[in-house]
Amino acid sequence: MTRPAAAPSITTAQPEDYFQLLKPRVMSLVIFTAVTGLVVAGGDIGWLTAAIAILCIAVGAGAAGALNMALEGETDALMRRTRGRPVAAGRVSKNDAMAFGVVLSLFSVMLLGMATNWLAGGLLALTIVYYAGFYTLLLKRRTPQNIVIGGAAGAFPPVIGWAAATGTAPWQAWLLFLIIFLWTPPHSWALALYSAGDYAKAGIPMMPVARGAKSTRLQILLYSLVFVPVAIAPGLSGLGGPVYLAVSIAGGAGFLLLAARLWRSRAGDQPDKAEAVGREAALYDVRAEAKPARNLFAFSILYLMALFAALLVESLTPMMRP
Amino acid sequence: MRLTPEELAARTRRNRALAAVLVVFIVLVFTTTILKLSADRDQTAGGPTAQLVVQEP
Repeated sequence: MTRPAAAPSITTAQPEDYFQLLKPRVMSLVIFTAVTGLVVAGGDIGWLTAAIAILCIAVGAGAAGALNMALEGETDALMRRTRGRPVAAGRVSKNDAMAFGVVLSLFSVMLLGMATNWLAGGLLALTIVYYAGFYTLLLKRRTPQNIVIGGAAGAFPPVIGWAAATGTAPWQAWLLFLIIFLWTPPHSWALALYSAGDYAKAGIPMMPVARGAKSTRLQILLYSLVFVPVAIAPGLSGLGGPVYLAVSIAGGAGFLLLAARLWRSRAGDQPDKAEAVGREAALYDVRAEAKPARNLFAFSILYLMALFAALLVESLTPMMRP
Repeated sequence: MRLTPEELAARTRRNRALAAVLVVFIVLVFTTTILKLSADRDQTAGGPTAQLVVQEP
């Protein structure tokens, strides 16, 4: 006797929901840093191959985001910032998101390897496995150092871009990697300081949840003191020119100032405004005490974009180099 | 099994998007293949790259 087959479930998910699975905002930063790595590398890659490479890197990063959302749907549903995501909100099933992520991962890695070289393809595959497997499944729920180690996943795109253009990954590419890698902790912890309640509710041991706000503020300052000199390094090593040097020093001073203000503040000591008044609130609707954290979070995005924009502009306009 | 109008409309939109993505993928694979074949031909049949190597002192 055979059991009756379960009725197939029909979803009302729209193509836009699948696009949201790719984390388009993260993807835009990935595209920007990958383009910078590819252009700064200066290989003899044609524009069409370069465009295909960037598309593959973007889709690969999006695939990692889809796998992350598939694996974290239940956790995302517990947090204000993420409860509207397609899997968390129930618009796309976990299995569909997983299949979407796996297929896009395979296609993007295969096409990048074919179009450019297998060093670039291999680095893209490593990034996807690192983010979706190592970070999401292993690190995120086990250690407050989750985003320190996991931050490497977001740092790979310029290296992949460089490898796509030249077939190599020299120290200059890894310097760009290091900039994003060291930028990630102060950036993510600044956000976590005013979203700690969400993370605690979801059982994620982010630094403010596991070690407290005071320790997090100190670690943000310490990481910033390491990050800013590394961000300036391309300007001194010849990778960047005078424009990069000026942007990195001026922006770095601003970054350190905001990190010092955050260290002296009481950001994260109190539950955020939304929790205090018990209502939905926008991400930036924070208590006055938490504003230094929000300011550093917002400025960190601007600073990273400015650093890579300066490199990109100098590479595209050689007359700006001495 | 009967689909509601919303389910039917959503499925149609998803199918169209999937078809568009598949067409883009096919075009990309075709383009990549042509680019690779052109590069290989240049290198093996005395194309620009090979001539550059020969002209080096």
